[in-house]
Amino acid sequence: MTGKPKIALYWCSSCGGCEESVIDLAEDLLTVTAAVDIVFWPVALDFKYKDVVAMNDGEITATLINGAIRMGEQEHMAKMLRKKSRLVIAHGSCAHLGGVVGLANFYRREDLLSRLYQEVPTINNPQGILPQLETIESGRKVKLPDFHDTVKTLDQVVEVDYTIPGCPPTPELIKEAMMMVLEDRLPPRGSVLAEKKALCDTCPRRDSKPDKLRITEFKRVYETEWDPEKCFLAEGIICLGPATRGGCNARCINANMPCRGCFGPTDDVRDQGAKSSSFLASIIDVTDKEALKKIVDAIPDPGGLFYRYGLASSILKGKMTRGRS
Amino acid sequence: MAERIGVYVCECGPNIKDAMDLDEVVTFVQGLENVVLTKAFGLLCAQEGQELIGKDIKEHDLTRVVIAACSPKEHEKTFRQCLEKAGLNPFLLQIANIREQCAWVVKDKSLATDKAKAIIHAAVRRVAYHEPLEVKEIACQPHALVVGAGMAGISAALTLAQKNRKVYLVEKLPCIGGKVACYEDVFPSLECASCILDPILDEVLHNEHIEILTLTEVQEVLGFYGNFLVKVTKKARFVDTETCIGCGACLETCPVTVKNEYNEGLDERKAIYIPYAGALPNVAAIDKKHCLRWQGEACSACREACPFGSITYEDTDQVRQLRVGAIVLATGFDLFDPARAPQYGYGKVEDVYTSLEFERLVNSTGPTQGKIVLRNGQVPEKIALVHCVGSRSGKFHEYCSTVCCMYLLKFAHQVTRQLSGVSILGFYSDLCLPGKEAQGFFNKISQEGNIQWLHMKEPDSIEITQADGKTLIRFTDVHGSPREVTSDMVVLAPAMEGARDAGAMAQIFDISQGAGEGFFAEENSQIAPVSTAIEGIFIAGCAQGPKDIQSSVAQGQAAAGRILSRLVPGEKLALEPVTAEVDEDLCCGCKLCVGLCSYKAITCDNLKNNVAINKVLCRGCGTCAAACPSGAIKAHHFTDTEVSEEIRGLLRQG
Repeated sequence: MTGKPKIALYWCSSCGGCEESVIDLAEDLLTVTAAVDIVFWPVALDFKYKDVVAMNDGEITATLINGAIRMGEQEHMAKMLRKKSRLVIAHGSCAHLGGVVGLANFYRREDLLSRLYQEVPTINNPQGILPQLETIESGRKVKLPDFHDTVKTLDQVVEVDYTIPGCPPTPELIKEAMMMVLEDRLPPRGSVLAEKKALCDTCPRRDSKPDKLRITEFKRVYETEWDPEKCFLAEGIICLGPATRGGCNARCINANMPCRGCFGPTDDVRDQGAKSSSFLASIIDVTDKEALKKIVDAIPDPGGLFYRYGLASSILKGKMTRGRS
Repeated sequence: MAERIGVYVCECGPNIKDAMDLDEVVTFVQGLENVVLTKAFGLLCAQEGQELIGKDIKEHDLTRVVIAACSPKEHEKTFRQCLEKAGLNPFLLQIANIREQCAWVVKDKSLATDKAKAIIHAAVRRVAYHEPLEVKEIACQPHALVVGAGMAGISAALTLAQKNRKVYLVEKLPCIGGKVACYEDVFPSLECASCILDPILDEVLHNEHIEILTLTEVQEVLGFYGNFLVKVTKKARFVDTETCIGCGACLETCPVTVKNEYNEGLDERKAIYIPYAGALPNVAAIDKKHCLRWQGEACSACREACPFGSITYEDTDQVRQLRVGAIVLATGFDLFDPARAPQYGYGKVEDVYTSLEFERLVNSTGPTQGKIVLRNGQVPEKIALVHCVGSRSGKFHEYCSTVCCMYLLKFAHQVTRQLSGVSILGFYSDLCLPGKEAQGFFNKISQEGNIQWLHMKEPDSIEITQADGKTLIRFTDVHGSPREVTSDMVVLAPAMEGARDAGAMAQIFDISQGAGEGFFAEENSQIAPVSTAIEGIFIAGCAQGPKDIQSSVAQGQAAAGRILSRLVPGEKLALEPVTAEVDEDLCCGCKLCVGLCSYKAITCDNLKNNVAINKVLCRGCGTCAAACPSGAIKAHHFTDTEVSEEIRGLLRQG
């Protein structure tokens, strides 16, 4: 063991994209690994759970956890890593806001399980067995982690010191976060390590935005062709850039697609989805009832659009049912 | 947060005391975080109540006060003053309305007690986050601009001038007086219009505080209440107003003849003209569009004829910047074009006239010197008066134009007085005769001449055509039976609409217009009928909606009153302290708020890529703060924290 700072990386309920974003550091990964000791990274390196448990509390300088918390095992790991780490950094949209996996909060656990294990046409489960916490297999008791009722963000389970936002975060932001840790120049605790202002501030199409924005029709991207130089909102295409923290290098915009909000809200906004629907509603330039209905109907899945990344962290958090935790 | 909150629960006589268990409420409040003092009191708004609060603030070092009593609409001001007197910022107060929203509406005593606790808890949670707000003042410009020199405009101008305010009275026509100056008589007094109007116009013309700018139009308005900068263009008249005495010598020699719009196109005028005999100021003007000199010809007939050397071909349009504190828009009305409803035969049937055409026809300075004759010069024996043309109609305007019944009665009187034996047909579906004079006027005129009232089924159950040299009127009567009559002359009463250029005016001044009818939208039709959403811009007369002379004068004077009461020379203008503010460090320049502000208070700095809210214009409505997608706009006194704490308190979350 050297005296270098220790870093751990862990994944919870996620797609693996955040892990990939670390790999996307490319040569910079070498710079980072030269400066630190990676002590735990299940997706890439062969350290064991017991190795970490054996460490002293606070021995790890920083742990990056990506993914939301849905399983008992994830909660356990998060809590264990919290104990062992000086800093816990939420890495990516799922850890930060619940992410796409958080959309599952629109359904109850029972509905998800029965759909997945009993109803989908491709399932072959004639006895209709649902996942169990324990089972006897060849005379041995096998345990499975439990499946929580609700998807939670990392900071709903453990204290989080910093957040690197994005689905996935850019390699630049990951590298900068690492350097902040190494060079001891971290901003106040709780900060989201990206821009302070919303995306419009750095949007390459900023100058094409009209001074008075008014929308009479929402167009979906498959329905229309748009000017690749012009502000999406000015073209009637929903873009959540104004309600989304900047710092993503406008990746989607540069790929000629509107912002979907993965960096989450800015510091002073409590609920990104509510803000998004509120700002869009305020620029609808229609008063006639029929026309209003038409324009609202042009958004078939408002939950999926406005809360794509932020449902688990929103005020309502999902479909409310009695007794839900 | 360690605030020292004092909570006062008002018994409001038996109003609150009897509706709930006050002891339980007080005990509950005493246990709330930050609450250091809780008192129930008989009548807080009384002198003793106010004194008690003031004394407690000082003795107990209170930093916040909650008054659980009546609606803030009733006594918020009283208690704010009470805090201020005791040296506490007045905005560190929160009213918990446990009377209107609780005692008066919840019958069950224990439910009312619970609800009062929740409401007070909400106020206690909220007030801890209140910020002290400062009432700022700015210097203001006491001068005013009045646009439109009709009855409403001149009434406003004269009222303002009485208090020695400088008034710029802008009129796009060469003369002042508006539509009323074109009438022979006015209802219901049947007095001669010019006898009433001319002395007033003289007063306007000779008032040292009023600067009349005829042939002038507003181009641009910048600034805000107390400090508007208005750009106007005064078109060249080509006649020196100082030396011209309106002798008319030039008119006789001018070789160009065009339709006279001031007589509703019923006769002709010259390219140099005085709109109508008696127009004020009595000065000629050259119509550049038709004068030969601007068609490339070397005519100077008028200059040669003028005995006073008043013709000034070298005149040019002048742009002026006017600094004023407030603006009155009194741009009047135009008539619905009856040709849009072909059933009335207007423009096709020879002797169908609009009411304004008839006003000129019957006017002694009009095209026939007041003789009521048909276009062929013959005297009509039968005249039809048609009510509600385009008014009260599903197709055009839903509203009643309010004055048509009255002026058609006036026409009936004028016709009867001039043509003995004439018969009058009144086509109506309903009569609008409200107020203290109209019914009496109707009764009087109905008995005066030979009027036959023809009651139609609907306002537009009528068709007017030309048949065998006669004007044929087919209509459906009130019983649903088709009927027809002939008439020599038809006078239509088309709906009143906002002036044709009202749309352009609305854009320049950034005020709203009603859809379709063109009238300017008032701030509140009941309690703020002459103000608009833009502070300092007032509307008066028919620009706001159809009305008679009396109401136009009243509105003009009302608008002037609003200005006189607030824009006092030497006094500063107190600004609304509850406003919105932009955090420049958070604003991403998305500009969504700019178009949402009803008060034009938000401007965008494209270079700095952020927006700014003008404190003078902002009225704290909160629209921008709600819309701001990145939380960069904060609505003072209604911050997210204040509101969410209030909700938490209401839901009694810890």
